[in-house]
Amino acid sequence: MSTQNTAASMQLNFTLNGQLLNMRVGPARRLLDILRLDQGLTGPKEGCSIGRCGACTVQLDGAAVPACLLLAYQVQGKEVSTVEGLSSQPVFQRVADSLIEHGALQCGYCIPGIATSLTAALTQKPHASAAELEQAMCGNLCRCTGYSGLQQVINDLASPDQHI
Amino acid sequence: MNNVPTAVPLDQAHFAERWSARPDSTEKVYGLQQYPTDELHWPGLLHGRILRSAWPHAHILHIDLSQARSLPGVRAVVCAEDIPGTNSYGIIFRDQPVFCTDRVRFLGDAIAAVAADSPEIAAHALTLIKVVYEPLPSIGDSQQALASGAPLLHPDGNLLDSSQLSHGDIDAGFAQCSYIVESRYSTPRQMHVFMETEGGVAIPEQDGSLTFRVGCQSGHRDRDQLADILGLPQKKVRVIGLSTGGGFGGKDELTMQPAAGLLALKTGRPVRIHYDRKESTRAGIKRHPIQMFARTGCDAEGRLIAHQLHAVLDTGAYASLGPAVLTNFSDHAAAPLYRIPHVEVQGQLVYTNNSVAGAFRGFGGNQATFAVESQLDKLAQAAGLSSAELRRRNLRTPDDDGVEGQSQQMPCHPDTLLNSALASPLWRLNTADQERGRWLSGVGMALGAQGNGLGNGLPDAGGASLRLTEQGTIQLAFGFIEYGQGVVAAVQALACEALGCSAADLEIRLGDSNGPDSGPTSASRSTVIATEALRRLRDDWQQQLIQLGKSLLGDQRALRTGAGGLWHDEPQGERAISYQALASRSKGESLPTLKTHFDFPTGPDAQPRGRYLQLLIATVARVRVDRFTGRVKVTHLHHITAGGKVIHPPSYLGQIEGAAVMGMGMALLEDVPMHNGEYQLDNLDAYLIPTLADAPVQQVDVIETIFAGDQYPVRGIGELGIEAISPALMAAIQDATGVRPCDLPARPAVLLAAMTAAEGNLP
Ligand code: FES
Ligand code: FES
Repeated sequence: MSTQNTAASMQLNFTLNGQLLNMRVGPARRLLDILRLDQGLTGPKEGCSIGRCGACTVQLDGAAVPACLLLAYQVQGKEVSTVEGLSSQPVFQRVADSLIEHGALQCGYCIPGIATSLTAALTQKPHASAAELEQAMCGNLCRCTGYSGLQQVINDLASPDQHI
Repeated sequence: MNNVPTAVPLDQAHFAERWSARPDSTEKVYGLQQYPTDELHWPGLLHGRILRSAWPHAHILHIDLSQARSLPGVRAVVCAEDIPGTNSYGIIFRDQPVFCTDRVRFLGDAIAAVAADSPEIAAHALTLIKVVYEPLPSIGDSQQALASGAPLLHPDGNLLDSSQLSHGDIDAGFAQCSYIVESRYSTPRQMHVFMETEGGVAIPEQDGSLTFRVGCQSGHRDRDQLADILGLPQKKVRVIGLSTGGGFGGKDELTMQPAAGLLALKTGRPVRIHYDRKESTRAGIKRHPIQMFARTGCDAEGRLIAHQLHAVLDTGAYASLGPAVLTNFSDHAAAPLYRIPHVEVQGQLVYTNNSVAGAFRGFGGNQATFAVESQLDKLAQAAGLSSAELRRRNLRTPDDDGVEGQSQQMPCHPDTLLNSALASPLWRLNTADQERGRWLSGVGMALGAQGNGLGNGLPDAGGASLRLTEQGTIQLAFGFIEYGQGVVAAVQALACEALGCSAADLEIRLGDSNGPDSGPTSASRSTVIATEALRRLRDDWQQQLIQLGKSLLGDQRALRTGAGGLWHDEPQGERAISYQALASRSKGESLPTLKTHFDFPTGPDAQPRGRYLQLLIATVARVRVDRFTGRVKVTHLHHITAGGKVIHPPSYLGQIEGAAVMGMGMALLEDVPMHNGEYQLDNLDAYLIPTLADAPVQQVDVIETIFAGDQYPVRGIGELGIEAISPALMAAIQDATGVRPCDLPARPAVLLAAMTAAEGNLP
């Protein structure tokens, strides 16, 4: 029952926000619980627990993924970044400035996940088009804003000749 | 008034001077804001879980907690017996048990709760609680509930409340009509889907008191109810409503607070409860599903003569705010924007074994507006008039009373909005795709009116406190909760203007039941309360500060409050003394401390019902319908709003646009289907809300001008954007396809079938 106390715990080694971590943990413990409950990183949020809302988005080896669907054994040897670790990166700061300038948030519960997804997309492809950035947002829900600010952010961040 | 007010685009170009980022945006984007469910750092924190009923309707024969209690890692298991105070809550009627004892009435009913060392242990412990039920037949809809012989869910029967609003003589009215249209309408059980589900932590203090740090909508009201449940004096309960990940009405009622409080008292340790989405779906408040029948008629010239609307609202297992929703629904069902001599509205609010329905942005008004505006379009068609012309001939004027006979204060003449809507560029967009290809485009429009405040006749007080702290900051406190709507930004902007200070001088405190009671954060009332509080405080404040300044400086020259301190009140006057120096140099003297408390404005004649402060909106929608699938893509929305002065433009814009997309979800997508009290879905894989890909391009134009003599230049606009969106979308769909959906959400399959049936009539 308790994934934390499962007898067959594993030795987990992975990089979290640039730091190498070693821990004993049940192989089926969710990455989101490792981050929030064990590591106290509350930037990733929980909104659905089934990979549908994007509030828990983190980067796994640079790709945006829902931390609620990743289990401990799946991050073995990999690099995980949360909003806390990404925030010093210039790409993240560009995304953050744009989100703030265009007022793309209200309650903000969705916004660390959205910023993480956009940062991943722009890191992987610095000249992403607006359509590609919109595609990168397909796993992130926002209930407050109606997405108008986010539309502007995407046009702002997309390569100038690539607007939709 | 000869000057017709104009609508100004709400964008950075037109509102450059007032435009600023939300004060809390940086910490949110960087993931630094601690939400109620992020309160994980408390030493000794325990994780709570609540056991929910296994049946929609059943007798409880036996509850056995012993196995759960003996599971290692479990620190407490509580049920009804452990409640020191009253085992019930509810904002209007306390008819909902904290923990059920002998009967359950819906699948969200709580039976017991567990606190354990980890969430996993708590979840395991729930499976060890043995409850023996005797299932009862469940009431799956309001028709069943009202049928004779139906089991009674509450002592007074299944009819919780009914409303009757009428004037004139409805039969005589219809007898005079040349055209009459009638139709049924229905609206869905929409779910709030705040991204942060219900949650927070209860913390026992040294002195035996309890502090709650939770997601809620009124710290004071929660405190009052919690004190009764916990058997504690009110001063031993403190509720701090933290900045929260969305509310929309769904956190108005108590959620996890009673269980967390009981577990914290029992264990002496902080207890955290965070509903997962499934529990939020199961136990959380929803929007009332409403069945309506409407009949509306006009004379040969298109003058409205008679309007009748009968409705049944499914309020679920407990009352919550249902009766207040029914009142607001009825006010809107009486067609508040139009002059009609003969009106009859009847509403029934019915208990069932379904999910509890209560407060949700729009509060019943938007569902009624959907039916009323749809009726007008149908009637216009019958009478051979354009939708706009029929409305123009019947609009209420600002001199008219409201539908409840109450005085009302409209922001402007409604025809101003009608004209602006007709001038929208959306009517003129290229319609080349309207050829008989795959896509059909259409444009539609609807009007809406909405009042601020809880409504005449209900206690609706607000207050604030203001003081200069020893550190020299200006501390302004309200009871409101920031749940995304931007009350922090609005209060900051209002305070800077009223008090003459800068944002850096201010410390804004919100949502603490130990602070001033401003009333609930609902009914679009916060901005109105904040404006009125500051209007009442400002003169005293300035006088006291200036007096203090003069005595400290020993200088009688005129001063004024300004950024950073007091300034010489003369051309090119310099700063005379900073707020910090005022505070530090006035040793021993008491620093200015002010409080205010007042009732929400209800107008000069204080009628027992209705709302005084009114706002108006026109929404123009453009859609594209897929002829192959019946799927509707909303491409553009254009809103014209008259809601007083815009205090913080990005927040205003976000509230209108966000409410519109939420309303679009209700109109096209969202519903929690239930069958005999059983949920047919439990998470966001089956309950879909609009995504970025569904989002339309939106424009908001605002009319800020109000009538001379209107004392309330600032209104609350949190619900305005949802008011007219549903009928506007249905009008647009009709324009595109010839089919007018009357059941929401307008599902693709249903629309497609109707389109196929009507294929011969397509343009
Ligand atoms: S919590 Fe992970 S996607 Fe929703
Ligand atoms: S800002 Fe509230 S969910 Fe996006």
